[in-house]
Amino acid sequence: MNRLRLYRLLMGILAVAILVFGLSLVATFFAYQRPGSVPMIPTGPVGHYFVAFTGCALLGWAGGLLGAARDPLSSRSVGTMTAFVFALMAVIRMMVWFVGDYYVWLGNLPRTEASAFLMISLALVWLRPTVSESRRATKRED
Amino acid sequence: MILRALATLVLVGLIGLNFALPTSSLSHRGSENKVRADITSELLVGQQLPELELIDLNGAAVTRDDLLGHRVLITFERSVDW
Repeated sequence: MNRLRLYRLLMGILAVAILVFGLSLVATFFAYQRPGSVPMIPTGPVGHYFVAFTGCALLGWAGGLLGAARDPLSSRSVGTMTAFVFALMAVIRMMVWFVGDYYVWLGNLPRTEASAFLMISLALVWLRPTVSESRRATKRED
Repeated sequence: MILRALATLVLVGLIGLNFALPTSSLSHRGSENKVRADITSELLVGQQLPELELIDLNGAAVTRDDLLGHRVLITFERSVDW
């Protein structure tokens, strides 16, 4: 399997995962609005407001990833930003692990997630199309 | 190519940092120690209230001796920095 096919596969998997997660966050918000509901995420009304916002943003991100999976050469910046965001999420999880305030809720999960996110970021850095590949593809379309 | 190598260097550094973070259980260090010790030591019905010092909403310290001899209802609220 060549590099671009692997890249498309990775972007497709990420797109589906982020789409499902985004939908579940939006669903969590609506479920919370039912009278007498028990929150699925341990937070209040303000927290759920941001949960819904995050869910919607994830749906948008998933759309970008799907576009990059379908046409990687003209969506190079999606791969670059996704690699950056995964590295940023890893740094946040490392901070969470180090501070320890979330340990009771999350246990060792943040640290494991940080490792996984950094590996994904590294994979994206090496699999995404190069600038010259993208330029060649753009010229062909012209 | 230089940017890709630089990004790789940063990411490999972060992976190293993630592995270098303390591997000991977080319950054995920092301010969480006291909280988690409380969680694991369950107080049973009929058991004597242990020595304690809590801070009330006005910032004043409340000890077990302040509570003994009175009918007391203690409620706990999750603080902002839970």
